[in-house]
Amino acid sequence: MLINKRLILAHFWLAFAVFGLALLLGAWQMFLRSPLNAWHFNPEFYYRSVTAHGSAMGYVFPTLIGMGFGYAITEASLEKPLIGRRWAWAGFFLVAVGAIVAMIPVSLGLASVLYTFYPPMVGNPFYYIGVVMVVVGSWIWVALMSINLAIWKRENPDKPVPLAMFANVAGSYLWGWTAVGAALEIIFQILPVALGLTATIDAGLARVFFSWTLHAIVYFWLIPTYIAYYTIFPRAIGGRLYSDAMARISFILFVVVAMPIGVHHLFTDPQVGPGFKFMHSVFTGLVALPTLLTVFTICASAEIASRLRGGSGAFGWVRALPWQNPIMLATALSLVMLGFGGAGGLINMSYQLDASIHNTQWITGHFHLIFGGAIVIMYFAIAYDLWPHLTGRALESFGMMRTQLWLWFVGMIVTTFPWHYVGVLGMPRRMAFYDYANPAISPQAFSVSMSAFGGLILLISGMLFLTVLIRGQMAASSESGAYKFAVPLHMPARIPVALNSFGLWLALMVGLTVVNYGYPIAQLMVLKETNVPAVYIGASR
Amino acid sequence: MSDQSPFSFRNPWVSASVGITAGIAVLAAFAGLVWLPLAQPDLKLSGIWDAICSAAGVPRVSSQGNAIQPDFKTSNVVMTSEMLTKPNQVSIGRGATLAQRCAICHGPQGVSDANSPNLAGQFAAVTYKELNDFKTGARVNVVMSPFAANLSNQDMLDIAAYYSYLPRVPSNNLDPKLAAPQIVTTGAPMRNIAPCGACHGDVDNKAGSPWLGGQSAVYIKAQLHAFATGTRRNDISQQMRNIARQMTAQEIDQVARYYEAQP
Amino acid sequence: MTAETDHGIGEAVAARIERRWATLSIVIVGLLVGMATFIGIHQATMPQGHVETADPKTLHLAGEFIESNLGSAVEANGSITVRAIGQQYSFTPQCVVVPSDTPITFRATSADVVHGLLIEGTNINIMLVPGYVSVLPIRFKAPGDHVMPCQEFCGIGHQGMWGKVKVVDKTAFLNMAAAKRRLTCVD
Repeated sequence: MLINKRLILAHFWLAFAVFGLALLLGAWQMFLRSPLNAWHFNPEFYYRSVTAHGSAMGYVFPTLIGMGFGYAITEASLEKPLIGRRWAWAGFFLVAVGAIVAMIPVSLGLASVLYTFYPPMVGNPFYYIGVVMVVVGSWIWVALMSINLAIWKRENPDKPVPLAMFANVAGSYLWGWTAVGAALEIIFQILPVALGLTATIDAGLARVFFSWTLHAIVYFWLIPTYIAYYTIFPRAIGGRLYSDAMARISFILFVVVAMPIGVHHLFTDPQVGPGFKFMHSVFTGLVALPTLLTVFTICASAEIASRLRGGSGAFGWVRALPWQNPIMLATALSLVMLGFGGAGGLINMSYQLDASIHNTQWITGHFHLIFGGAIVIMYFAIAYDLWPHLTGRALESFGMMRTQLWLWFVGMIVTTFPWHYVGVLGMPRRMAFYDYANPAISPQAFSVSMSAFGGLILLISGMLFLTVLIRGQMAASSESGAYKFAVPLHMPARIPVALNSFGLWLALMVGLTVVNYGYPIAQLMVLKETNVPAVYIGASR
Repeated sequence: MSDQSPFSFRNPWVSASVGITAGIAVLAAFAGLVWLPLAQPDLKLSGIWDAICSAAGVPRVSSQGNAIQPDFKTSNVVMTSEMLTKPNQVSIGRGATLAQRCAICHGPQGVSDANSPNLAGQFAAVTYKELNDFKTGARVNVVMSPFAANLSNQDMLDIAAYYSYLPRVPSNNLDPKLAAPQIVTTGAPMRNIAPCGACHGDVDNKAGSPWLGGQSAVYIKAQLHAFATGTRRNDISQQMRNIARQMTAQEIDQVARYYEAQP
Repeated sequence: MTAETDHGIGEAVAARIERRWATLSIVIVGLLVGMATFIGIHQATMPQGHVETADPKTLHLAGEFIESNLGSAVEANGSITVRAIGQQYSFTPQCVVVPSDTPITFRATSADVVHGLLIEGTNINIMLVPGYVSVLPIRFKAPGDHVMPCQEFCGIGHQGMWGKVKVVDKTAFLNMAAAKRRLTCVD
């Protein structure tokens, strides 16, 4: 039973509003730097837009989704009102205000440092302060998830934690720990420089701190998607979840192994030794494991639902699935994009293959496909599934929902596949414009134009999505009953304590972080001679 | 419910997961820190400890032999973003006095009638650097070199502070309607020319890059030609020579006329 | 009871299939990691072997990255060392000339912010972080011209930061090297 519907809706509405604005910027950016545009404009506008787009899509949008969905899961799975409602609202406002505080200097062109804000480039301090506020707001959510679970466990000793809540709390712990890297970088390195308290900064150390956050943050984004795979999808298509235990193991694997692998973003950097680069490469390979397990479990769950509906044959059962159901469609499209995006990720995992495509448009294509594609399409599905329960009104534009989902999928493929291709051709990232007439670049022109066209498709899909939600907000009221999660095929009476609690896994997560990051960070921290002068961007004329 | 503690090694989940994690970590560490470095012949490591230290990232200084010295003087100014950005009233006052001898060519308000550069409102770091370069011989000018030779470091800081404090005065050729040539707005990426404004302050400021607005077209043109031919060499690590040598004569003309017409 | 036994059998079957898949997944991951390790040892290319530091503020004053020492140098053993710096918004030397079919050590650093460089048509790809020296052993198989863009956002002029690499025939290069000790293909 969802009680704090306004709280949850507030999170989702702000998330999707930010998403819509950022999507507009993204489509504009794609057009601006493509051959479709005669490239004579002030490049600063492009970089300003990229900063806004990246910060909104990376720091604000998915955080709000995780938080809102997390509150919904807490109430629906634990079947009691959220404890700490006022704190939750405080967290929400902190995120909202933080986002505005960050966006003001960015919009004024005072902080065009991009969402990765690599020092020694430093922008206006309020951009960083805004980001910190967003993170702190989300940490309130992390604390509330932990507290709510702890109280429920005390009231329900020996009961298995509902899978959705277990995964939700796993994601919150992962986020809480992974945000520490960027927080350390901003608070101890960047803000002192941005505020004028000091004038030098260790750029290499900052990149190492940021890499701590940069990879595992995508797993924070991914966990709501996987929760939807495991606990919404099987129920939505009238089936059962193949295995509860394997689901828990997958989420546990994410908690332990998502963190200590960030140095694969630093493979070509000079400040980290090759030994640690290799170690991170090994663990990056390991993080493929929970996804492989998930793909199996979800496909098996789909098969169960299909055979319950009369599907037959070794592969024929696929046709008997309820394709009219938007959740079915979204999940299938998500898994296809996950396959391609994941394969790309495996290529990025080794230094050898990464060397060919590091910081080319392949990287941009990769993360748009996996995050913007596989992950965000399930955010749409989550919204579609939850909306009637949150608004108390029917959500019935099924045709529009399916169209929207197909457009998102097609748009994402058309946007990202050419992107991967031009990356292999060597097109560098993050340039406001390219001289497509030059023979070194002209082979890339057609693909970039295709990509820009894909961006337009995505924009249309995004607008359709918002239309569906707005319609859902204004439809006739309708009783949707209690919000239920998927039921596993075989629910064991008892669950091993290891699959029902987090202490062990958090200890491993922190331990691996120390092993994989401890020395690189410590060693760079004691190096005094690598503090280099800050370069202020957007400086006064 | 199992009554086994989540932290006890008697719990098979605990021993298995800790064991496997530790095992993988140890194997990966051994492979990365010992085996792989030693397996690379061109790393010239002196034993296992050296291999481990290198692979872990312990910083080292490598001996790179003797650097070839230039047969001309290069700028010895260390340029940073926050250099001379905080003006000091005392310094400005001293600079005002010193600047009286600069007024002959550079004008009493720092705006020149001849084609000497206008100094009024110029970034202090820029004025300081050029004076310094004239003094050391990194930049050579028949008129400026003797002037600069007699300046102490504090003198140069004061003069720079004073001129940056003066208001910028547009040139007689101010023309806000003059369209910015392409070489200024977007540069020429494949010829390695960034938009001028990215460094020279109209869009963003790179420390040491002079404000060009209102500057004499004759002066700008002469300097770009000097950079292009390599006669002027005080741009640290060739940053302006890289650009100027790629510009056509027509582009140099356009740039000079455009910036003279800016405030 | 039949229902319970069926349920029990079903659960056992499901668990067995699941375990098989988990084992297969672990094998797949193990294979991938093993491949990366094997390739690493047999030198497809490896990350730079040491961490070296350099002071970006004084690169132009003393040391190996002063202006006159940048460019391609022939070492005693016949290999080449190319020294370069990245700065807002160009590489110096703007045009790097190297011989084909010769071992080359590329040494570079940044004079200000984080830059990167890649040489199009090759897998040469490094970051230039101020304070640290990037070192990469490289080799070009055949003569040709390549563009060398900066691949990391380094400020508003980033899109203008394109250098060039000219790979020339080995003998032609050595002829050039006879005349000058540091070679570039800048006019």
